[in-house]
Amino acid sequence: MIKKMTLSGVAAAALSLLPAIAMAESPTVQQIKERGTLLCSGHNGSYFGFVEVNDKNEWKGLDIDLCRALTTAILGDPDANQIVPLSWAQRFPALQSGDVDLIIKATGWTMGRDTELGLQFSLPYFFGGTQFMAHGELGITEAKDLDGGTICVEAGTTIERIAANYLSTIGVEHTMVSYESAAELRAAYVANRCDAFAGWGPNLAVLRATEIDNPDAHVILSDQLSSEPISAAMRQGDEEFVDVVNWMLAAMLIAEEEGITSANVEEMAANPPNPRVARLLGSEPGMGERLGLRDTWAREMIAAVGNFAEVYDRNLGAESPYNLDRGLNNLWSHGGVLYAPILD
Amino acid sequence: MSKADELRLKAKRRKILIQTGLIGLSIVVIFGAVVTARTNLQSLGLTSGFGFLARSTGWDYSFSLVPKTIMDPYSQTLFVGFLNTLFVGFIAIFLTTLFGFIIGTARDASNIAIKTAATVYVQIFRNIPLILQLVFLYSVLINMPGPRQAMSIADTVFLSNRGLMLPGLSVTPGVAVALLLVSLAFGVFLIWRKSDLLRGLLTWGIGSILMCVIAAIAVRPEGASLVSVPELKGLRFRGGITIPIELLGMIVAITLYGSAYIAEVVRGGLAQVPKGLTEAGQALGLTKGAIWSRIKMPMALRSIIPPLGNQWIFMMKATTIGVAIGFSDLFYIVSISITQSGQTLELIAILAGAFLLVNGGLAIFTNWLNARMKLKAH
Amino acid sequence: MTDKSVNTPISLASVRQILKKRAFSTPTDSVLTFVVFGALAWLAWSLFDWAILRAVWSAENVAQCGKETSAGACWAVIDARHRLILFGLYPFDQHWRSTLAAVAIVATVVLSCIPLMWTAKRIITLWILGFTTYYLLMEGSLLGLQQVTTDGWGGLSLTLFLFSSVVLLGMPIGLGLALMRRSEMPFVRGFAVILIDFVRSLPLLVTLFTAAVVIPIILPSWLEGDKIWRVIVAFALFFACYQAEVFRGGFQAIPKGQFEAGAALGLTYWQTLGRIVLPQVFRHALPSTINMVVITFKETALVIIIGFFDIMASAKAAFGTGEWAPHYLEVYVFVAFIYWAFIFSLGQYGEYLKGRMAISER
Repeated sequence: MIKKMTLSGVAAAALSLLPAIAMAESPTVQQIKERGTLLCSGHNGSYFGFVEVNDKNEWKGLDIDLCRALTTAILGDPDANQIVPLSWAQRFPALQSGDVDLIIKATGWTMGRDTELGLQFSLPYFFGGTQFMAHGELGITEAKDLDGGTICVEAGTTIERIAANYLSTIGVEHTMVSYESAAELRAAYVANRCDAFAGWGPNLAVLRATEIDNPDAHVILSDQLSSEPISAAMRQGDEEFVDVVNWMLAAMLIAEEEGITSANVEEMAANPPNPRVARLLGSEPGMGERLGLRDTWAREMIAAVGNFAEVYDRNLGAESPYNLDRGLNNLWSHGGVLYAPILD
Repeated sequence: MSKADELRLKAKRRKILIQTGLIGLSIVVIFGAVVTARTNLQSLGLTSGFGFLARSTGWDYSFSLVPKTIMDPYSQTLFVGFLNTLFVGFIAIFLTTLFGFIIGTARDASNIAIKTAATVYVQIFRNIPLILQLVFLYSVLINMPGPRQAMSIADTVFLSNRGLMLPGLSVTPGVAVALLLVSLAFGVFLIWRKSDLLRGLLTWGIGSILMCVIAAIAVRPEGASLVSVPELKGLRFRGGITIPIELLGMIVAITLYGSAYIAEVVRGGLAQVPKGLTEAGQALGLTKGAIWSRIKMPMALRSIIPPLGNQWIFMMKATTIGVAIGFSDLFYIVSISITQSGQTLELIAILAGAFLLVNGGLAIFTNWLNARMKLKAH
Repeated sequence: MTDKSVNTPISLASVRQILKKRAFSTPTDSVLTFVVFGALAWLAWSLFDWAILRAVWSAENVAQCGKETSAGACWAVIDARHRLILFGLYPFDQHWRSTLAAVAIVATVVLSCIPLMWTAKRIITLWILGFTTYYLLMEGSLLGLQQVTTDGWGGLSLTLFLFSSVVLLGMPIGLGLALMRRSEMPFVRGFAVILIDFVRSLPLLVTLFTAAVVIPIILPSWLEGDKIWRVIVAFALFFACYQAEVFRGGFQAIPKGQFEAGAALGLTYWQTLGRIVLPQVFRHALPSTINMVVITFKETALVIIIGFFDIMASAKAAFGTGEWAPHYLEVYVFVAFIYWAFIFSLGQYGEYLKGRMAISER
């Protein structure tokens, strides 16, 4: 017991020294600061709710907001980013070649990507599974009924593999047609080129809610093929950048837990209700230095984009045309699976 | 040493210097690329090498001439893509050449209406990018009625947004491929025999059809009827031959565009035939068809074949746009494989190698054809 | 053959004669003429009916689109989305810059069709001037305007930018390769032959894809540059390899004795080349060069596959929302017409030049 105590004492002493040691700054963050812009992944078209282009040719969506949040955290200006349009198939080559600094684009965390593609993933910020949507007139309720049918998917995605794997497991004879762009895929499904459309659950729901004339004419089949953790992907070998991205995500979740919103963030920073909020918003120094950022990064970020709930509601939830329930993507305290690491 | 000798020596030295410089530069660039690639791949944690070819892919794609599963290794999937490219390429080459000659001849017609129609066709289809025509056509095709409301001719031929369903002979895919190859060989044989153009085409067409019918009767699968007719069962048509809409779109788009180009080549060739020859034919009382096949075409072919060969290579290369509509040609398969496996360099090398092989072969064939035609005209 | 008929004055009698000979010479001929012209007229009328008579023109009337009362074209989609198609993702309030820049490129192309500009100095100055104007306007920071980086460029302006930079960059490389291919030095010649034949047997799409995806792996990062520049350089190399063959054809038309004559006059190789041989080569190669330029303009459409927001991609985006999705046909017709207008006029100009040169050579 005593021995343990001394050990932890040593550890505590060592830890207390840490702030004094200058944090090695991430080369990626350094590059971003020199460049003055953050290069984020966009899409070749619109991936509704996550990466969209509006009538004024501006990007919006959940993933775009996360990019803006990260931009604010690093550079202090939510608009100091460039959204590079990429197809699904191009996103990893583009990341590897440095055309983008990271991928925040509904990207699942897989072992292959983690190891063979040389990527690193952040905390999952979203959970969604692969499902099928089919034309209602076919009278289908589950994937077994798709026998002999044509199924469309997006090429180069995990969905492509999961759907192929699932259909061969349950022994459904089918034809698969895969497209390189979401727009092409959507057009093909709407035109009835395929009987069913394998997609990512939230995306299917968004499509059904808005993109197709009559939502009742389409059914989302009962099969739940997977539940994928969606994370930001970065190049391997820059742990400090992963830290920055992880704490950017964590800060948005903590802000939601603590009830900090873009509206009240200044007030909360001025009169922090508890030490956690004080630390998060930089009312108490130290938070920035540990990540190689400014102390006020989280405060500026929340002022610019809001907490996770605000971002969700704006892009997918009640304030968006899609009106998706938060479901799994709620805080753990509200029945979801999202949680932040401990801010100490 | 005279001044001229001195100058010559100087020039010679300079030439050696330039060439050594060029070789040196090439070596430095290639070596530099290899070294950088290695360090870049290492720092990204990517593994290099062709080991991935034996791994199964785990993903599916739209079209294959041979049976496929998601357990196929990358090597086989790539080979299927290569076959698809060749398949579409050769069909496109055949059709564009056929229609190109017809339209090119029409451009040269004496009847003003036919000439106008051919000119309008060429001016429209030649002046719009192929990829735009393809996605345009594909949008139109997939917005056709679905399989349940398919348009049909006498309930044997169906056209829906899933594809074109034709009645077909009941043969196994292996026999079909064999028949295709034999038919091709027959065509080459006829060219080698220097047979007359029109008669050659007829012999080839009738011979190929006869051969297919005989083969279908001889090696028909047990219990199958001679002709299999497509029939709607469940979500799709079964039986007969199905040409998926992506394949149909590729063939039609490349044919429309390529025919316009080949028509121009043919017209150019026909325009170079001296008018006196045609008039001589008319004086002899030859029919228009005979003048065309005996006098004009053989003369024109000499100037047609070299640019025609270039067009054939272009058709083969044009198959790469299949990726725009989800047709699984070699480029599409390579592009997906890169995302799914991360083996960028190896896959690009395979892709480039395949095209060098095919286009090299086509160039050799064109040269051979050219030589045969030249000999004949002498 | 055709120019003869152009030169003779057209009288009613001669028209009748031509018609008799070329439309109604035999009964079958007459039937053919009526049927084919009838079909053409019907097609033209249906198109006119669809595109003009029954069309819905204004975005405010979009509700009428697809209704029974108007089975015609729904140009409302163009009315509403033309700025997206033409300018892509360029900042909305800066579209005037994109317009001016596109005009600069078009003006450059039009001006270079005038024989007055056909001296090396003038044409090079013209193109560099046009290109610089475009770049300054689009990028903006040097003119004190809001900076827009190449990622933000799109639509027709991006297509024109790709086209002009490929031609501008590819032309000198092509000439260099053609000269290398004619060189007496075996290694220089061999180098050019291998490079030209290698690039020519690859599809353009493979070349562009390689530039976008593979080059970053094999080049050190300080040499990489933006994706758009990598793609332009690769496209220019592709263009150059074809253009080198066009120049080679031009060189073949020139008697070899001219170099010897030049040498006899005491001119160096470069002087003979620049002052005597090249002007003739360019003249001979002009129709084929225009053909290459036309093909290049068409092939810029391929960049959509490697993720650029060119006019094809912006067209897809224009009908990519639920509201406009049914009107894909109108958008494609609109874009096809833009391409057609550019390519057809360039092509006709090439035909005209070919005819003019054929006459002067007679």
